[in-house]
Amino acid sequence: MMLARVAESLYWIGRYVERAEHLCRLSDVMLTATLDRTEASAQIARIALAAVGDTDEAKSKNSYEAARDLVLDRSDKGSVASSLARARENARQVRDQITTETWERLNLIHLRMTDMNAGRTFSGGSQAFLHETIADLHLFKGAADATMSHGEGWRFLLLGVYLERAQLIGALLEVCFGDRRRRPITDHAALTAVLRMGCALEPYLRVYTADMQPRFILEFLLLDEDFPRSVRFCTANIEEHLASISRHVEAAAHAGPDRLAGRLRARLQYADIDEVQAGGASAFLGAVRDECAGVHQAIYDAFVAYPLEQRLPA
Amino acid sequence: MAKAEREPTAVPPTPAIPYDEMRGAAGKVRPHYAALAQRISTLSPTELAERQSTLERFFLLQGITFTVYGAESSTERIIPTDLLPRIVSADEWATIEAGLTQRLKALNMFLADIYSSQQILMDGVVPRDLVMQAPSYRREMQNLYVPHQAYANVCGSDLIRQPDGAFAVLEDNLRVPSGVSYMLANREASKRVFPGTFRGAGVRSIDRYPDLLLATLKSMAADWRPNPQVVVLTPGVYNSAYFEHAYLARLMGAPLVEGRDLVVHDNMVYMRTTTGLRRIDVIYRRVDDDFIDPLTFRRDSGLGSAGLFNAYRAGNVVICNAPGTGVADDKAIYAYVPEIIKYYLGEDAILPNIETFLCREPAQLQHVLGNLDKFVVKAVGASGGYGMLVGPHSTKAEQDEFAAALKADPENYIAQPTIQLSTAPCLIGDAIEPRHVDLRPFILCGEKIVVTPGALTRVAMRKGSLVVNSSQGGGSKDTWVLTDGKDLEP
Repeated sequence: MMLARVAESLYWIGRYVERAEHLCRLSDVMLTATLDRTEASAQIARIALAAVGDTDEAKSKNSYEAARDLVLDRSDKGSVASSLARARENARQVRDQITTETWERLNLIHLRMTDMNAGRTFSGGSQAFLHETIADLHLFKGAADATMSHGEGWRFLLLGVYLERAQLIGALLEVCFGDRRRRPITDHAALTAVLRMGCALEPYLRVYTADMQPRFILEFLLLDEDFPRSVRFCTANIEEHLASISRHVEAAAHAGPDRLAGRLRARLQYADIDEVQAGGASAFLGAVRDECAGVHQAIYDAFVAYPLEQRLPA
Repeated sequence: MAKAEREPTAVPPTPAIPYDEMRGAAGKVRPHYAALAQRISTLSPTELAERQSTLERFFLLQGITFTVYGAESSTERIIPTDLLPRIVSADEWATIEAGLTQRLKALNMFLADIYSSQQILMDGVVPRDLVMQAPSYRREMQNLYVPHQAYANVCGSDLIRQPDGAFAVLEDNLRVPSGVSYMLANREASKRVFPGTFRGAGVRSIDRYPDLLLATLKSMAADWRPNPQVVVLTPGVYNSAYFEHAYLARLMGAPLVEGRDLVVHDNMVYMRTTTGLRRIDVIYRRVDDDFIDPLTFRRDSGLGSAGLFNAYRAGNVVICNAPGTGVADDKAIYAYVPEIIKYYLGEDAILPNIETFLCREPAQLQHVLGNLDKFVVKAVGASGGYGMLVGPHSTKAEQDEFAAALKADPENYIAQPTIQLSTAPCLIGDAIEPRHVDLRPFILCGEKIVVTPGALTRVAMRKGSLVVNSSQGGGSKDTWVLTDGKDLEP
């Protein structure tokens, strides 16, 4: 049992933290690509920006500025700094529910992001800045895992993390392998960069070796059972955490999120890459995206914004 | 003889030399400060400054900050905190503890009386109109059962040390006193900064405050609710004391709720949880009386919950502190506290009051008007260092302004002689300088009264300033109450 408002805040901390980490990684890959002076660098920048919903062609030409804005621009609600500010604001509102160890990590990251010298630190060594931020976000999740009770609150936090991750990876795959792409990505550097954006390069190499095939990449990021950033892995976790949370709620109230999460997990678990490609990746990814949105709504209906009349004591 | 009839005495004496907490006659270090003085003397200014920055970093990391909202962005500041602890000896503490216990006991009896048979008003000890017209008097509280007659469950009294070394009560805070989280956080920080000195000093522990608070709150619940659900009610994250609300909730293991989390149905109070509605038994509210229930008090309040007060009246929930306790810490009623103690307990006050002039009495008003440059004048309803004139530090124009206000609305003002608060050594820049301090201990009252052996020492950071309120640039420091070897934990 926990306050509905608190559950909501924890859920959003998870979402914002995951979003911030993903954006840091996209920026990092984008900046690294420009260093190598490969022909693919503009293409990589376009992919990264499109994955966050920005299709402005001009921006991909100046990837350094695009990356800096993506990270530090506090007027942009979608930036890393804004996401972290919101995560931290939510954490402040449920400060009594998260451990001091967990809070300190998040507070530290936020303080660095909003430091007066953040801009200078970024220009002085953007990759170092991003690596450090990503590492700190890992520490945050580690602290939550190691110090918070693995009860309801922790599960709402992770529910946010995995739902956000499933949607972010889904969006990246849509950009790279969706039906709207005119020319398939064939460049070795670009394909490597896509894996890097999903933090998947090393695990991928271990499964598929250095053979960069779009089909393998799609299969790995979408359907791999063990890789923690594959969409399948995320949906399995969403189902598990929801099932655990729902154990406490009356049967009638939780049929919604449970059922939807189970169906989503099954869709990924029993998918076949040939069938996915035959039907067009976009159709499959679209269905996943819609079902993720459905789970989000169902969580609200069941746990957060339920109608009071149904829950008043007789 | 009631205070109101008293003739004004002579012009208050010129300010004496303030009491120095660390050094006595001829600059000799007082025995209970010896260990600290010794430690400080071995540290270079750089080392002291390093420890100060360790301390500040601790507060920043913990998020013990307040936010300054600007046009473009907002920045977070920590409350100024000084690293040198203020030390209170065991003997001094014994007097303080006895005095505060006596005082809170009498004040709760006073509240129980004025909200029932009003014997003290009928006996003319306290003027009836002073009580009944006080803005903090709540007629809604009349004839309402309060367990253990404990109206004020959490009290934070402001003590000051006079030039002769005796402590006196400057103010009782019986509404929603704050600052206890700083008492606890300052202690955590000072253990990090002076571990060696701390270990040997024999400082009494204050760690039990949260669980004593919880026990106090639980003791207020109805007998037939054996395992009462306690919650902390906060106005929300934008309140300047939000950190404290979250801190206490976390250390007590009680949910931190906002008004929007509460639902009142059939005179029962529930909170919205992920598993539906959960009944609440005790609300430790950190929201002012005015805002707890828009149906009973201020209609425009969005911070409380509609119907809360009726649920309270019905005995289905307990609100701590009880609404209406403010009448007993009213700045005008304050002048009568020694008589109140005498009336209910038949004892003399252990801790004296500061001499107070009520401007509602014409003779006293004349006296105050004639000596505005020597008095501290306070508006009865104001707090936090607002609406206040410190005579010796004021300009002629400010005095004229107050003189006009006093004549226009004498009921609203009291005056006290300007007291030189005692001074304690503080690290200012890289030098150690004396600054004026007060002392706010915290007293809990449920089934029984407990005084935690520690306090918040507030510091007027500006040189010469006597105003310690955080809203006026005041800071704080840790307060060590020493053991005499005999006393055990509370």
